[in-house]
Amino acid sequence: MIVYVIRRLLYAVLTFLGITVATFVLIHSVPGDPITFFLGRAGTTTIPPETLAAIRAEFHLDEPLPRQYLHWVRGAATFDFGISIIDRRPVRERILEKLPNTFQLNFLAFAIAALLGIPIGLWSATRSGRLTERASAVGFFLLYSLPSFWVALLLMQFFSVRYDIFPLLGMTSDDYTELGTAGKLADRLRHLVLPVATMTYAQLAIFARFSKATLTEVIRQDFITAARAKGAGPATVLWHHAFRNALIPMITLLGITVPHLISGSVIVEQIFQWDGVGLLYIQSVLSRDYPTVMGLTVVTAVVTLLASLVADILYAFADPRIRLGERA
Amino acid sequence: MSDSLWGLTWSRFRRSKLATLALVYVGVATVVALLAPLLANRKPLLAKTAHGWSSPALADFWNAYPELDAPASPASFALPAPVPFSPNTIDLRARLEPPGNGHYLGTDDLGRDVLSRMIHGARVSLAVGYFATLIAVLVGSLFGALAGYYGGAADWLVSRFIEVVLCFPFLFLLLGIVALFKPSMMTIMIALGLTSWTSEARYVRGEFLRIREVEYAQAARASGARDGRIIFRHLLPNALAPVLVSASFGVAAAILTESALSFLGLGVALPTASWGSILSTAHEHIEYGWWLVLFPGLAIFSTVAAFNIVGERVREALDPRSD
Repeated sequence: MIVYVIRRLLYAVLTFLGITVATFVLIHSVPGDPITFFLGRAGTTTIPPETLAAIRAEFHLDEPLPRQYLHWVRGAATFDFGISIIDRRPVRERILEKLPNTFQLNFLAFAIAALLGIPIGLWSATRSGRLTERASAVGFFLLYSLPSFWVALLLMQFFSVRYDIFPLLGMTSDDYTELGTAGKLADRLRHLVLPVATMTYAQLAIFARFSKATLTEVIRQDFITAARAKGAGPATVLWHHAFRNALIPMITLLGITVPHLISGSVIVEQIFQWDGVGLLYIQSVLSRDYPTVMGLTVVTAVVTLLASLVADILYAFADPRIRLGERA
Repeated sequence: MSDSLWGLTWSRFRRSKLATLALVYVGVATVVALLAPLLANRKPLLAKTAHGWSSPALADFWNAYPELDAPASPASFALPAPVPFSPNTIDLRARLEPPGNGHYLGTDDLGRDVLSRMIHGARVSLAVGYFATLIAVLVGSLFGALAGYYGGAADWLVSRFIEVVLCFPFLFLLLGIVALFKPSMMTIMIALGLTSWTSEARYVRGEFLRIREVEYAQAARASGARDGRIIFRHLLPNALAPVLVSASFGVAAAILTESALSFLGLGVALPTASWGSILSTAHEHIEYGWWLVLFPGLAIFSTVAAFNIVGERVREALDPRSD
């Protein structure tokens, strides 16, 4: 077990290095050096060459690429990505202050999707071959194919514009600071409903499809046939033999859905003007704020990496075949 | 069409009415995209002028900015296109018109015909969908084949590479690439293709691990064929079945992503119509224009759903355990 965890951790470190190399290559595949890019071609001619050379030296741009990479990765490893071009504040600070807002949204969406999606998926697997099962399979597919920005617009149109039940945008109302504690909480919750709903439905479909597939797979196994053959009733077979084994692969859902959620929050936060990491990212992209773009790219990749690492290790704890298989 | 894998798969595929319908829909959407200038154009399909018969609409196939043309000479006879509006013709007297009144699906904030923009937007969506997936299949098959065929160090390297790519949340990586380079249809196709090949690679790798030691591969090796020939002539054609499934899902995902990028304003450059960019106009006018929200969204949804349904059915048809 220890050997497995250590090996998995080593791979994670390797993957982290891969992430930094990929990000670095991406930055440096842009034509021209960052200064020319930042100032524009005309800008570099108006600045004295000594100043340009000094700036290049300060940011290590005069050194060979491998050295530049080392400088950059030293910063990236401590999550120091330099300062933002927009407001001259450290990128790390800008990311950290937005992270809780995004986490709030993603955590709720994840929890609701899991609580609804997994039971629906398990239930539809037990109805194998019947009309309800076929219909639910098509239903998952349709949910999965719905573009989230469209769903968001429809929800806004219906609940905000037409009936004014939920607020259109933002995280709080304009009069937020004047509200009492209960009022503040209610206001925040009201603002959460539409963004969370938009993020949940696609995750729900993923959870439902996945749990349906794992249970269907388990039911095909020999030990289920054996349990049936020894005379166990359908309910016992399902509860006692099948469900427990079907739940284990669901740990991997953690690793699968986290990148989906992070990607989804870019769109949802932009539409609802939710002040999180996704909105920060799209604003940075639109204003060509590269330090922030690169910082966020690394941070989100690391979050994904951690999610899949945790999922793999939990899986190994839950399913001895994994860790024993590794040793054999 | 009987006992071959493809014949068998096809006959099993057709047993699902929904999937057959989805496949027909995909075909129709593709034809609409191909024929867009003939279906939605303010210039007539057929016209008789002083210079004789001509087809002004047909000429738009090779004209990137038909709006910039000089006004046509007066015609004594003209057969209009089914939707007699060009996608980028601005008409400020007809801003935000609801459906009806000559514009079947209404107009946008610049008085452009929504249906015409949707028909031309289909070109962007489907072209991005098909070509991005083609790139993904090529890259993925190559990596998957190398990893599966050679195993060992090659397999290890490719697997680590895939892990790294999978760590980047898809949209983040894509937005980063589009931001660094100039957003255009080409950039989006390439960026999408280069970020979404991992599932193809894993499928091909799995197939190669399974078939690299089967008799026909050994026979080819014994007869002195080089690795390249064994990989591309003997093994790859037999490893492509699962790729077909992931390619179908891939087109769906690419269409969804392209429309998301266009919606965020980082897609195909304006004024080129795309389903996502119409929705982004709808976002700005959320208070008025329900038709701007409903129709382009339905187009994205139905096309994506059709590709997903086709992919799922192909997966079922290829799976020997399902019925």
